[in-house]
Formats: sequence, structure tokens, C-alpha cells
Amino acid sequence: MAANINSNKPVALKPVEKFDFFNDERVRSVFYQFLTLAFVGGFGWYLFTTTAHNLEVRGMGSGFDFLSVEAGFDPDFKLVAYEAGVGTYGDIFIIGILNTIYISFLSIIATTILGFSIGVLRLSSNWLVAKVALTYVEVFRNTPLLIQVVFWYIGIFSLLPKVKKSIDLSAGSEVVLLNNRGLYMPWPEPGDLLWLTGLALVVAITAVFFLKRWAHKRQDETGKIFPTLTSSIGLIVLLPAFAYLMTGSPLEWDIPKLEGFNFVGGATLPPAFLALFVALTMYHAAQLAEAVRAGILSVGKGQKDAAMAIGLRSNRSMTLVIIPQAMPAIVPPMISLWMNVVKNSSLAIAIGYPDLVAVFMQTSLNQAGHAIEIVGMTMAFYMFVSLSISWLLNIYNKRVQLVER
Amino acid sequence: MAIVKLEKTPARPAPLTERSVIGWMHRHLFSSVLNSILTIVTLYIVFITVRDLWVWGIADAVWIAESRRECFDINISGACWAGVLAWMDNIIYGRYPREELWRLNLGLIVLAIWMAPLWLPRVKAKILIGLSVVFLYPFMAGYLFAGGEKGIFMQIMVTAAIVCLACNTLHSIIGVSGGGGLREFLFRLPAIKDAPEMSQRNILLCLFGVSFVAVFVWQMSWNLDGVPWTQWGGLFLTLVIAGVGIASALPGGIILALGRRSRLPVIRVLSTAFIELFRSVPLITVLFMATAMFPLFMPEGIVLNKLVQVMIAVCLFNACYMAETVRGGLQTIPKGQFEGAHTIGLGYWRTMGLIVMPQALKHMIPNIVGNFIGLLKDTTLVSIIGLFDILGMLRAVSVDGAWRGLHNEPLIFGATLFFLICFAMSKYSRRLEQKLSTDHKH
Repeated sequence: MAANINSNKPVALKPVEKFDFFNDERVRSVFYQFLTLAFVGGFGWYLFTTTAHNLEVRGMGSGFDFLSVEAGFDPDFKLVAYEAGVGTYGDIFIIGILNTIYISFLSIIATTILGFSIGVLRLSSNWLVAKVALTYVEVFRNTPLLIQVVFWYIGIFSLLPKVKKSIDLSAGSEVVLLNNRGLYMPWPEPGDLLWLTGLALVVAITAVFFLKRWAHKRQDETGKIFPTLTSSIGLIVLLPAFAYLMTGSPLEWDIPKLEGFNFVGGATLPPAFLALFVALTMYHAAQLAEAVRAGILSVGKGQKDAAMAIGLRSNRSMTLVIIPQAMPAIVPPMISLWMNVVKNSSLAIAIGYPDLVAVFMQTSLNQAGHAIEIVGMTMAFYMFVSLSISWLLNIYNKRVQLVER
Repeated sequence: MAIVKLEKTPARPAPLTERSVIGWMHRHLFSSVLNSILTIVTLYIVFITVRDLWVWGIADAVWIAESRRECFDINISGACWAGVLAWMDNIIYGRYPREELWRLNLGLIVLAIWMAPLWLPRVKAKILIGLSVVFLYPFMAGYLFAGGEKGIFMQIMVTAAIVCLACNTLHSIIGVSGGGGLREFLFRLPAIKDAPEMSQRNILLCLFGVSFVAVFVWQMSWNLDGVPWTQWGGLFLTLVIAGVGIASALPGGIILALGRRSRLPVIRVLSTAFIELFRSVPLITVLFMATAMFPLFMPEGIVLNKLVQVMIAVCLFNACYMAETVRGGLQTIPKGQFEGAHTIGLGYWRTMGLIVMPQALKHMIPNIVGNFIGLLKDTTLVSIIGLFDILGMLRAVSVDGAWRGLHNEPLIFGATLFFLICFAMSKYSRRLEQKLSTDHKH
């Protein structure tokens, strides 16, 4: 009987709709957002009108017409043909972008290689090596990049010997030369049949791809390990080399020669380029090394023990167990570091390497005015690069997450 | 009774390969043939580097000379530190008037006194002390450094800063010597102890008001000589820019981070766009933007000087980086904390201020220090747009008549100085991280 008292049917409680205008969350959120928009819009409008007024008062034009006006200067390093007096500010913009991409790309590659090496050395079982790597990381991480850039330029690359006493980096054959005007090296000039060598390379890479699949399958079935790495390297080196020699070495090298007071021919990298390249690489490699170290350490010790327990050798446990698990922790910081390399390449301006900021945001802005357009275009370029890189990162993160599940 | 043995067998000493230096070397340096080769090669490289550096920088170096030529005459193969020493004042203080240097030193000492309680045990209300440093010290230091006629706003702020510093110091002394704080101490005074609670508060307010008025009247009687910003320079200028940057970046970063996590789409989108805009471009472009575009934004008749332009640029730039640090800290707070705060009826600002931020701040401190190190290093960029910060001064040595061409020694000195500051800070932040961590460790 007592149980019946409590078994009354629950009464549905009707929510009381009490609309309080000042405390309703929706009203408030709309109000706050409207307030923010009004503030930002008002500020934007203020900036726009003041700027327009200031431009008018100072008699400064606006618009992008200046891009087709000839620029009166000649950047001393460029990757595309440009003639001073004919080339326009638009051309200067392109030259700047290409120079920025060029140095960033080379520095990123070098940074990645050096950073991984030092990161692995940081974890070396050899005490001395680990400590030397640690010293490297701390020294280069804790000094300003700009001081490093200036030091490499003034203290090292400008103090190199003069042209007549160039340092020979190619062991006596006088092909690769370094002096205070930069690095001189041979430049390839392709012949007619070079495409056959290229084709051979493509064939070799395809063959390696299939070889890997076959070796994997065979290992799954029989347990026998095929020496994939050695045979792949052999294929990739030997096949193109064979094709190259068979077609009669269709590649000429344009070798720098001393004529008068300077070297002519070949390719030249100016001291400012070399200094910036070395500084960017050394500085960011120190940071990448820490990311690599943290990534490898993030893989639990049990993983390595387990790999040893099932009989994997040290190098195989590294390539098959540790590195695949460490990569998801290494890649995101590495990619944002690449972005930093691109951004920091703008320090070129301190030593006169003509990157985008130096030729466009400084020289062009000083000559042509049009501050708003030039600042906008330069920032847009960096934002474009940044967005592309974070897009890459997102793709990678998605792939890694899918693999995990 | 069969007692086999009464005394404990002493432990055998560890084998020689385990305990001696040789054992250690065997394990850590010569464990395999490859390792041995590596060790010897590395040792050789380290030896060569250290020896060359020693010979150049210490053994053959010239410390006392009048000019670079004299350095060369004494020893051409060594470093010429005499030039750095001769320029030391310029490198540290820039071209600040020499008879006014005490103001810079006083500013530094005041900062040290103000911040010291943060590290002292038993001092209470450290958050309040920290906030007072961030919000009041800049005005006092700003007036000390710049000088000139005080406006009414500056007079109030300087007075507030002096009163606050005095209270702060008293509070800390009381805290260290007897525990408790200034408030408890005053309440224990016989005159106040017996008063009813309401008038206790009034007495405190009166005391505060009287001291404020007294200091205000006192500070009206003097003025410091104005020092134009063009004479600011050296390490001093670098620290000022970095200090302004970090002090304003923290509140700015918190606001932007909260905006980015807001539920209101307009605020979220605007904050995100602002943060991503500044984070995706190099600092030097922001500095150029400041110097080229800010004059266009100003109404007629108002001219910002370059230093202010640079400071605004550095603040904007760094606030966006700080916003990401704060956001990272906020993300470490589990959702249950927000829900718990809602359950006990706290609104948005109280949830953030009382529950979330204090916890998040703990996670953020190492990253904030990291941010500050980055900012300090980045501040050298202002030398590119023509301010004579420490790097500008270091490079100016080589165009001085007596020391013409002396490039490397000043640069190496500057690099070492930065290294010492940044390395010490990063070590400290790592220690702080361990100290603050409440995670369970085995």
C-alpha cells in the first residue's frame, strides 16, 4: 500500500515563458554583437575618411596605377630578366616575391635536414655529442636572429678573401669558388637528349614504387626481407647514369672563369644571400631540433621495449615503430617553423638581400609613395603563404587522425 | 637455536666498470667503435673551437686602448674589447644625458623593489601586486624616463604609483617579518582595533586618502627635466619597448583570446581575423606599416613620434601572439570547470575571472616567459627602421672615428648579453613550470 503513494503519475511541469527583455540571453548577444560591429565599423569609417582627407591634403594619389610605372632601380639579385629603366614596380614586386620564395625554400630544406640531425644527436647515447648538440641549440635559440644575420654578413661573408685569392671549395679544380663577392659555381646547360635521362629517372622511381609493394607482399607471405633500400638507391642512381652515358653526356657545365677583376659565367650567390641562408638555417634548425627531440621522446619507452621484444633490430624499430609514431608530434611544429622561415627571411633588409620587403616595402615605397597599396600587397603575400601552409597542416592533421582510428 | 649469522653482510662494492670515471666514460663515450670515433672527432672539434675562441677573445685580447689602431699595435690577432668598453655607456643607455642617468637606474631599482615581493614567501595578495606592477609602474617609469611638465593625468598616476609602491613595500615587510598583510597589521593597531567594523573601513580609506593627498602636494613641487625620445637608446630602449610590449600584450591578449572563444559569431570572427592577420605577417612589415601608414590615420595636427608608432606596432603584434598563448592555456581547462561555475550561478565574467583564468594562468606562465624572450629578441628589429636600440648602438661603434671598422666585437658582446638574459629566463621558466605543476608524478 505504501508503495502506491509514491507511484502517482508525474505532473508535467510547464515551463513558464517569462520574457525579460534586458536579461534575455538572445537579446543581449544580439546587442553586444551589434555594439561591436558598430564600434569596428565606426573606427573603420574614421580611418577611411581621415586617410582619404590626408591623402588629398598631401596631394598623394591612390590606386594601383603605379605598378605599371617604371622603377628607376635595379635589385642586385634577381631570378627573372629585368632591365633597369624599363622594368616596372609590378616587376619589382614579382622579383621580390621570387627572391623571398627562393631563399625561404632553400633555407627550409637545409633547416629540415640540419634540425633533424641535431635533434637526433641531442638524444645520442654519447654524452659528449649530446652536450655539444645541446650547446648548439641553446646558443642559437637564445640570441636574436637579427644579430646572427648581421654577424654572418659583416663578420664572416664580407671578410672572405678578395676575388684573386678565392677559396676553392672543390679541392683544387677551381670550379666552386668562394670570395667576398659571393659563391661562384658551375651551372648546367642541358643538351638535346637530356630528356632521356629524366625519363630514366621517372622509370626508376616507378620501378622502386612497384618493387616496394612486391617486397612488402613477399615479406607478408614468406617472412623474407628484401633489401629494398639498397636496391632502390641502386636503381635510382644507376638507371639514369646509364641513360646519361649512353646518350653521350648531354649536359654541359658553364664554369665560372676569372676575367679581369671578376668571375664570369656559372651561377653566383651574393654574400648577403649566403649570410641570410646560413643564419636562417642555423637559427631555425636549433628550434626544429627541440621539436624533433620532444617528438621522439613523446613515444613511450614501452614501444621501444616491445619492438625489441618481438625481435626488431635497433634501426628497424626506429623506422617501423618510433618514427611513425613521433611524426604526428613533430610535423605540426615543423610546418609552423617553415612558416617562420618565410617570415624571418624578411630580415634580409638589414643586409641588403633584395627580398620582397626590401625592394617593395622599402625602396619602392620610398620612391613611389602609395603606402597603403604597397603595405597591403606585401602583407597579402605573406598571408597567402601562411594560409597555404596552414591548409597543408590541416590536411596532414586530418590524415594522421584517420590513421589513428 | 641455530643462528647462522649475526651481523649483516656488507654489500660488495659495485664493479669498477660501474662506479669509476673509467666506467662512466666507457658507458657514455666509448660504448662501441663508432661511438669512440665520434667521441674523438667531436672532442677534437670542441678543442679547436674553444682554443681559438680563448686565444682570440681572452688570451690575445686587448682591453685597454684608445683606438682601434692602438689595439692593432698591441696585438693584431686578438679581439679589441677596448672599443666595446669605451662604448659601454652608449650600448646600455644610448644617448641619454649623462647627468640624468640616475633616473634610469632609479627606474630599474624601483621595478626591482616593486616586483621583489612576488618571489618572497609569506607575502599575500601576489596577484594584486603583479597587477599594480603592470598597470601603475609604467606611468611612474614613463615619467622618470621622459620627464617634462606633468599633466594632471600624469600627476594623479605618478601619485598613485608612489602611494601604491609605499603600501606594497610596507605590506611585504610586514608579510615577511610577521605574516599577514598591511590590512591585518593596521587592524591590530590599538587605535583601530576597538572601532566598529564600519568605521574601521572608513579609517583605512581616510589614511589612504590623506597619504594620497600628501604625496600629490609633494610631487607638485618638483619637475624632472624633459628628455626627448630621440636621446633614448641602447639596451634601455630595447627593454622599454619590450616591457611596454609585454605589459600591454597581456590584457590585449586575454581580451582577444576570450573574443576568439566567444559564442557570439561576430566577435569571434573579428577576433580571429585580427589575430591571424598579425600572426601571418613578419614583424618588420608591421613596423613599416606603422611608420608609413599611421601618419595617414591621424587627424590633421597630430603627429605621433616614431617611438610611439613602434610601440603601438609592437603591442598589436605581440597581443596577437599572446592571444594564442592565452587560448592554449584556456584549452587546458576541462569543460567541467565551466559547467561547475555555471551551476553555482556565476556569470560569464565571474566564471572567467574567478574560476578559469587563475587555473589557466598557471599553465600559461612558462609560455608567457617564452613569449617575452621572443619579444625581447624581436625588439632588435626596430634598429632597421632607424631607432638606436641596442643593436643600433652596437652597429654604431664601427662608424665612430676611433673605432672605425670594429664590427665583430660589439656584435659578439651584444649576442652574449642577449644569450645570458634569454637563457636565464628560459631556465627560470622551466623551473617555474616544474614548481607550479600539480600533476602527479612518480
